[in-house]
Amino acid sequence: MLALFLRASSGGSKPIDFGMYIRQAIRLSGRIIAALGLVAAITFFFSRIAHINETTAGFVYLVAILLIATAGGLIESTIASVVALLCFNYFFLPPIGTFTVADPRNWVALFAFLATSLISSQLSARAKRRTKDAIDRQNEIERLYSLSRALLLRGTERPIAKQIVQQIAQAFEFRAVALYERSSGEIYRAGFDDMPEIDNELKETVVRSELLQDENKGLIITPVRLGRQPIGSLAIRGASLSDAALQSLLNLVAIWLERALTEEAVNRAEVARRSEELKSTLLDAIAHEFKTPLTSIKAVTTDLLSEPASQLAVHQRELISIADEGADRLSTLVTEAIQLARIEGGKFQLNRGVHLPSSLIFGALKQMKSLTDGRAINLSIVDDLPPVWVDAELIRMVIAHLIDNALKYSPPAAPILIGARGAEKSVIIYVSDQGSGITEEEKARIFDKFYRGTKETHLRGTGMGLAIAREIIRAHGEEIWVTSKLGQGSEFSFSLPLASRGAGA
Amino acid sequence: MSAGRILVIDDDPQIRRTMRTTLTAHGYEVGDARTGEEGLEKLRSEAYDLVLLDVNMHGMGGLETCRLIRSSSDIAIIMLTVSNSERDKVDALDAGADDYVTKPFSTPELLARIRATLRRLPHPPDHADLKQLDLRGVGIDLPSRQVSVRGRSSRLTAKEFDLLSYLLARPNKTITHRELLQAVWGPDYGDELEYLRVFINRLRKKIEPDPSKPQFLVTDAWAGYRFQLPQ
Repeated sequence: MLALFLRASSGGSKPIDFGMYIRQAIRLSGRIIAALGLVAAITFFFSRIAHINETTAGFVYLVAILLIATAGGLIESTIASVVALLCFNYFFLPPIGTFTVADPRNWVALFAFLATSLISSQLSARAKRRTKDAIDRQNEIERLYSLSRALLLRGTERPIAKQIVQQIAQAFEFRAVALYERSSGEIYRAGFDDMPEIDNELKETVVRSELLQDENKGLIITPVRLGRQPIGSLAIRGASLSDAALQSLLNLVAIWLERALTEEAVNRAEVARRSEELKSTLLDAIAHEFKTPLTSIKAVTTDLLSEPASQLAVHQRELISIADEGADRLSTLVTEAIQLARIEGGKFQLNRGVHLPSSLIFGALKQMKSLTDGRAINLSIVDDLPPVWVDAELIRMVIAHLIDNALKYSPPAAPILIGARGAEKSVIIYVSDQGSGITEEEKARIFDKFYRGTKETHLRGTGMGLAIAREIIRAHGEEIWVTSKLGQGSEFSFSLPLASRGAGA
Repeated sequence: MSAGRILVIDDDPQIRRTMRTTLTAHGYEVGDARTGEEGLEKLRSEAYDLVLLDVNMHGMGGLETCRLIRSSSDIAIIMLTVSNSERDKVDALDAGADDYVTKPFSTPELLARIRATLRRLPHPPDHADLKQLDLRGVGIDLPSRQVSVRGRSSRLTAKEFDLLSYLLARPNKTITHRELLQAVWGPDYGDELEYLRVFINRLRKKIEPDPSKPQFLVTDAWAGYRFQLPQ
């Protein structure tokens, strides 16, 4: 039903085109009649009223043909030439009143007349055509100019592609314009005709990247390329554009489309940057708001716990310890959530410097003093490791997270091994524990945010530590990985770039 | 006799209340102020040994308050920061603080920092020839903590004074980072290289004719610092 309607509506546009041809034909026949009238008037005047000799008559006819060729076109002047030849022969060449030519010399005159009138018609018509072409080109250039000006002065409304089609339709007075933008998949239309039937052709034209022309409908569908890359397609109906003008139009569209895409990308980046900024400000505020009450709680609990044992009953000390640990956990949660948000926002800048792997490990251990107290920590740092090119603060954070992880997921009596060794073009730092190990399935997910070991019942961690560690190591362009044997323990390792490598970059 | 007089400047009432209670219990006399402006006012009218100063305050921030206090006083200052990042710590020291503590902190840790900051060198140098020095236009008068470079004089803070005295008592000899930190800040210290970097820089600004090309306070890379006496 719909297809029928579409066909009917597209058929309905034909009589309009047909009407244009009829109007053209009527105008042409009018000019032919006028030309013939002029020839008849000359014949009548000079054969019946003012008698002249045949030579003069021939010249008068020639002048008339030239006038007709200049005013009209090739068809009118050719027809007029033939009719004038017949009249000249019949009314002026002896024997008058017949089409016979008595004197053979008059044949020469007759043919000279025909040749002259035809050639002059041709020349005149060609000159006219050139003039018309020149005017058409000038029009096209003016339209292209007004289009590019309109696009330069375009409003701020979006999308720009919509403005482009509207401006094209307006500048060139096309019946319909449709622009398909490949990156967004949108089709923008302007003009009197929506051309809903050409959606598929528009999309196919981009893929095939070749021009599609339908003379019957006066429709051109052409790919829009930037360089050699097709970035969309343009459909125009009711167009009589020269190839050069069409090409210029397409170039203009391509440039503006590309510009529009770039502008939109820049806008999106700006919006993202602002929201990142807002997030960062918000996080700072949250950090402050959470940590202020935590500071009071922590000051109180730690002060009470530092009292000599005799000052507090055992159950009182236990209760205060619980509050103290709760405050610690909340503080870690807030700190890690903020770290993760910062790092994930991609806004943090690496503050790289030259550092020794051993000093990074000792620095991290110092930060964690309170947690590692009473646990066996073994170190295995290869002597004379080369310095690395890293953000020391962040790498210490990574080591601290790995140590924290090892402490959490291994029995309190089991020692933890922290080591560093050289590798090709990097230094590898590792932390291994003698915990229960990780299954293959878990390995894939262990660095994900908020993932925690499935077997663990004492959920002390936040599930953010390893995700933070991975983001930091990735920002350094390096790798972090885990190897594990069930029942024997896990080893987390990461690589760091050598200072000699970083200094050259 | 009290262990010292401490002024707490923090815009959070709960923190002021906690600090007042705990510090008083540990033998300090405590005053408090809600803003930097109020703190400066109290420092002008009352005598204190140490300021506990919050970095994040409404109005005049902690860093600015610290600079203003430092411009007219060599009182000991400990800053309370929320952020644990190195830049924020260095900012605090650069503003003139003697030390910083990251929130949330434990009371024993804070007390240790207060003791370290109020701590004086156990054996101040008593070599008579080092008490007053005149080195090529740089005058150092240890008893009054005054230094003058080309007629421009300034006063050293207690920690700066201790650091300089310690180096000056052992001229032309490289003192390791650890030894300096433990001598000046106390036995709990030893790895806080950033303290030394900032304090040596502050000293250089006060006593070196050209702080960017130090001729007295010399860095021995990876090892420590030494005071170079001109021949």
